[in-house]
Amino acid sequence: MFLRLHRSALILVAVFVLGPFVPLMIQSFAFRWGWPDLLPSTWWLEQREKSLLPLAWDYVLSPYSRILEATLNTILIGIVVTALALVICLPAARVLARETFPGKHAFEFFLALPLIVPEAAIGISLLMVFIKLGLAGSYLGIIIVHLIPTIPYMIRMLTAVYQGLGAEFEEQAMVLGASRWQVLRLVTLPMLMPGVIAGALFTFLVSSNIFLLTFFMGQGKIITLPTLLFSKISGGTLDASAAGIALVVTIPGVLLLLLSERFIREEAFGKGFGS
Amino acid sequence: MTITLLRMTLAASLLATSALAEDAAGFRENFLSGAAPWETVTKRAADEGTVNLYYWGGSDPLNIWMDQVVTPDLAKLGVTLNPVRITGTKDAIDLVLAEKGAGKALGAGSVDAIWVNGENFATLKRQDALFGSFADKLPNSAHFEWDETDPRALLNLRDFGLATEAAEVPWSGEQYVCAVNTGRVEHAAAPTTFAELRTYLEAHPGKFSYVKPPHWLGNTFVQAALYAHNPDGSGATPFQETLESLGAAELARLIQPGFEYLKSIEPLLLGAQSGNIRYPEDGAALNGLFLNGEIDFACQFGLYAVATNLANGTFPEGAQSFIFPEGNMIKNKNYLAIPSNAPHPAAALVLADYMSSVAAQASKLQFTGMPAGIDPWTLTTDEAETLSAAAPGYIGVTQAELDANTAPDTNATLVDVIEAVWLDYIERGSADPFDVIVARAVSNLSN
Repeated sequence: MFLRLHRSALILVAVFVLGPFVPLMIQSFAFRWGWPDLLPSTWWLEQREKSLLPLAWDYVLSPYSRILEATLNTILIGIVVTALALVICLPAARVLARETFPGKHAFEFFLALPLIVPEAAIGISLLMVFIKLGLAGSYLGIIIVHLIPTIPYMIRMLTAVYQGLGAEFEEQAMVLGASRWQVLRLVTLPMLMPGVIAGALFTFLVSSNIFLLTFFMGQGKIITLPTLLFSKISGGTLDASAAGIALVVTIPGVLLLLLSERFIREEAFGKGFGS
Repeated sequence: MTITLLRMTLAASLLATSALAEDAAGFRENFLSGAAPWETVTKRAADEGTVNLYYWGGSDPLNIWMDQVVTPDLAKLGVTLNPVRITGTKDAIDLVLAEKGAGKALGAGSVDAIWVNGENFATLKRQDALFGSFADKLPNSAHFEWDETDPRALLNLRDFGLATEAAEVPWSGEQYVCAVNTGRVEHAAAPTTFAELRTYLEAHPGKFSYVKPPHWLGNTFVQAALYAHNPDGSGATPFQETLESLGAAELARLIQPGFEYLKSIEPLLLGAQSGNIRYPEDGAALNGLFLNGEIDFACQFGLYAVATNLANGTFPEGAQSFIFPEGNMIKNKNYLAIPSNAPHPAAALVLADYMSSVAAQASKLQFTGMPAGIDPWTLTTDEAETLSAAAPGYIGVTQAELDANTAPDTNATLVDVIEAVWLDYIERGSADPFDVIVARAVSNLSN
C-alpha cells in the first residue's frame, strides 16, 4: 500500500518535471507542426534530403549553431566563478558563523543586496565602469559580474554549515593532539564538504543561467548557452533548432545534479558524519 | 589574484589599442576626402585583421550563410569575420553609444558594422555616432543608383525619409507583402484593398490581425492604411516630409481617416469576439498564427517570404503571396552602417564593399531569400542574370504586379508620432478628439 502510494507520487513528480520536455523534444524533430495537429505533419527527417541548408538537429550539431563554443564558455566561466566564490566565501562564512562584531546584521543584509537590486540596473551601470577599465567583452569581466549574484548564495550556504559544525569538533581534535593542518584536513573540510558541494553546485548553476549580465559584459562577443538560447528564441516562437538548443542547454545542469547527488550521499555524508 | 588579472587585462588592452588606433582618425580623413586609394584600405584592413559585424542572429539560414560564405571570402581578403549575433539591433546601438559616452573613439570601440535601418540609423545619426559618407566611395558603389534626379535612387539616399548621406550602404531591399493560406481561402478571394479586407472580416470575423506597433512590421501595416485613406488621395507623398515641415494639425488631418478605418476593423480582428484582441508581438508570432490557421492572411516584409518559409516549414503548405493593399505595398531597404568608434574601420569598409558585390548579394539571396540591396539596372546583363537566377521565386504574384504597387516608407520623424497615436487611439482607446491625441503625441516626443 505504502509502496504503491510512494510509486504514484514518484510518477507524479516525474510528469511535472519531465512533462514540459516532451513537446520540446517533439518540436526538435519537427519540420512543420501547426495547430491542431497532435504531432508534426512533416518531420525533419522527411525534409532532410530536400533542404539546401541544415535543419533542426543538423543545424544544432553543426558548427553554425556555435553550440560547442557556448557550452565550453559556460563550463569554463562556471568553474572559475565557483572556485573564486569558494575562495572568497569560505573565510567570510567562518567569521560570520563564529564571530560577533558590531554591525554584523547590517553586513549580512548588505551581502544579500545583489539579490534584491534588479540585474538590469547593476548591469548597465557596471558596463559603463567596465568599458572604462577595458574589462567589457572579456572573460574576466564576465567572471567578475557573475560573482555578484552568486556570492550571496554561497555565503548563506557556507555560513549555515559552519554554524552546524560548531567549534567544539576542532577544539576536541586539538585537545587530542592534532596540528592545525591536520584539523583542517581531517576534521573541518570533511565536515564542511556537503555544504561546499551544495554551494558550489548552486553557484555553478546560477552562473550558467545568467543571461543579462553575461550579455552586457560579453557584448555579444563571448557567447554562453543562455545568450545563445535567447538570440534564438527572442522571435517568440520555438522552431526545431531552437528546441534542440534549449534541450542542449539543460544538459550541464542535469549532469551536475546527478553527479553531485551521488557525491553528496556517498562521499560527504558517508565519510564526514561516518554513521 | 583578481587584482593581478585585472592589471594584466588592462595592460594588454592598452597595448592593443595604441598601435593602429593612433592613426585611425588620419585614415578616416584620408578615405573620406578621397585621398586614399582603395589599395591602402585593403592593406590596412589586412593589418587590422578582424571585423566585428553585429547583426540580428535569429535566422538560421543567415547564420549559415555568414559562416559558410562570408567568412571564407573575407579570409581571402586577409580579414577574419567575427559575426556577433544579437537579439535586437538596439543592443548594438546601445553598445556603440555607451562606448562613445565612455570616450572610446575610432579604433577603440567594439562594433565595426551593424545591420540597421530606420529608427536605429536615425539614433546613430542624431548622436553623431557614424563613421561618415563611405558608401559612395567603395569600388562596388557603382552597383547603386546615387543620382538624385532618378526617383529609383530614393531608397539609397533616404532611410525612412532620413537622408543616409552615404553613412550606410544598402544591404537588402524589401517589400511589404501579404500571404494567404490557400488551404483555407482561395487566392482569388483574398482582399486587394482595405475596404475588401473589412468586407472579408465581416464575413469571417477574427481571421486577421497585424503585428502590434511599435514593432516596425506593425507600423508598416498602419502606414499602408494611412496612405490608402489619405483624404487628399495623394497616397504616400505627404508622408515623405518631416514632422517639422508638415506640422501636427496637418498630420492629424492626413491620418485621421486611416486611423478611423483601423478602429473600425478592431472588433473584427483575432480574439475580438471573446473580448481579447490579439496583436502578435513580432514576425515570428505572426507566422505562428498563420501556420496554425488562426489568421488567414499574414502581412510582413518579405518578397520571397513565402518561398523561404515554405522551405523551412514555418508557413502552411498552401501559402501564397497576394497583392494587398493595391498601390501601397511599402518598399524599403536595410543597410550596413559603420559606427564612429569602429575598432577596425578599414576592415569594416572592406566588409561593406564585399557585401555590395554581385557574388555576395546573389549567394545571400540564394541562402536566405533576402532580396538584393544592389540595383539591378546598374549591373551588366550577366550580373543581373546571376542575381535573378539566385532568387527563390515568387509564389502567387509576379514582379510586374509587385513593381506596379510599390510605395515608399514614411519619414522617420512621422513614424514616431504615428506609433504614439496608435498606442493612444487604438490600444488605450482614448476618447479625446483626434487632433488632441496627435498634438499630445507630438508634444510628448519633442520633450
